[in-house]
Amino acid sequence: MSTDVAVPYLDISDPAFAMHSEAVRGARAQHWFARTNYGVAILRHEYVSKLLKDPRLSQGSGKWPDHNGVHSGLFYDWWTQCLLVLEGDDHHRIRRLLNPAFAPKHLEPFLPRFEALARELVEDIIDKGELEFVNDFAEPYATRVLCILLGIPESEWTTIARLASTIGLALGVTLKQDLGIVEDALAELYGYAENLIADRQANPGDDLVTTLVQANANGDSLSDSELRNALCLLIFGGMDTTRNQLGLGVMSYMHNLDQWELLAQNPELARNAVEEVMRTNPTTTWVTREAVVDFEYEDLRVTAGTTVHFFTQVSGTDPEAYPNPEIDITAERVPHYGFGGGMHHCLGHFVARADMAIALTVLSERMTNLRISGKDEWLPDSGNTGPVRLPIGFDKR
Amino acid sequence: MQIHVDRTKCDNHGQCTFSAPTVFRLDEQGILQHETTADESLRHDVEEAADVCPAQAITVTD
Repeated sequence: MSTDVAVPYLDISDPAFAMHSEAVRGARAQHWFARTNYGVAILRHEYVSKLLKDPRLSQGSGKWPDHNGVHSGLFYDWWTQCLLVLEGDDHHRIRRLLNPAFAPKHLEPFLPRFEALARELVEDIIDKGELEFVNDFAEPYATRVLCILLGIPESEWTTIARLASTIGLALGVTLKQDLGIVEDALAELYGYAENLIADRQANPGDDLVTTLVQANANGDSLSDSELRNALCLLIFGGMDTTRNQLGLGVMSYMHNLDQWELLAQNPELARNAVEEVMRTNPTTTWVTREAVVDFEYEDLRVTAGTTVHFFTQVSGTDPEAYPNPEIDITAERVPHYGFGGGMHHCLGHFVARADMAIALTVLSERMTNLRISGKDEWLPDSGNTGPVRLPIGFDKR
Repeated sequence: MQIHVDRTKCDNHGQCTFSAPTVFRLDEQGILQHETTADESLRHDVEEAADVCPAQAITVTD
């Protein structure tokens, strides 16, 4: 690592650490990367764009269980075979077989059902003038979208939400002490996924599981265990992230109510409205990679094994790339990295982009004058953030 | 079959290289390089590459 004294230092494990802070903005103005207590943080858009896709960096999460004292077992086996952590030809093969099912043309038929769901959830609270956004909208919406995609009865959404949230504990530093409940949840989800796969093999439908069961590339297809691992990853990776991002999105527009009104009057801007939130207030506040080899990049020297964090919100508001970084849903922008990038670019981004655009459209169409109406609670501003509790008051429109 | 990549949209993620590795590749600088024509036998793979591109930067024409 560079020993240049001009390189700033950020303590990212400090409970008070905040991405939206003068300290982080100051570090970005000072230099393109910072040292942290967990490796290097890349702060500027230009460098995130270049280095995030650099083949000298691997995804780096593969050793997460080992780093937390977990070296075997059901969770270990699942995690270390997940697309998320695979590299090289093993990754490319699985990714190729999964990618087409998540392409826009396969998602198009589901969009009217996402919209009907958003309208149903809004209708339930519209006359109350208040909602707890996480419980009343974001969590049921994010989970039932997954149910619709996978062809699971929507009535089972609470089971899916519980399993996804429990397995999500595995991303915490308390993994080892939570391992028992994580593995119980994963075993239950395995059973769920295996039943789904067997059912769609026998009774093909019009859902994403059927598309994956039938996925074929030059004679190659996914084995039953590869399918199961992928479905579990999809549920694990698709629910919390969308729930959190929706909460962050609504919070952003509560601070930019003129933009909310603009969206309500111009629903064709909904896709941009999602991009602006992902750029300025992403749930994944950093994307992590690990150096595979020793290398130098300008004045940054890293050794193999060094962790490199790409700060998405910080690079997404870099004034060099975004001269007017405030939310503007009419602006043409260069790409942000809220969905990561390179070969590990988020698999489900087309789903997330589409379902969040629909949610924001329906919410802005029916609700105006949004304001915090009670005590809000938030996850830490590191890793994957978002509201735990977000009471919102509004006027019906 | 003609292949066009809109360089104002392409962000060099390289997802297309998984679908059609003989048509699309990333060079040593990580920049996408691609053939501008391909044999009809590759149509399925090239159209899949266009479908899955995160930036929707690839157009395939006859």
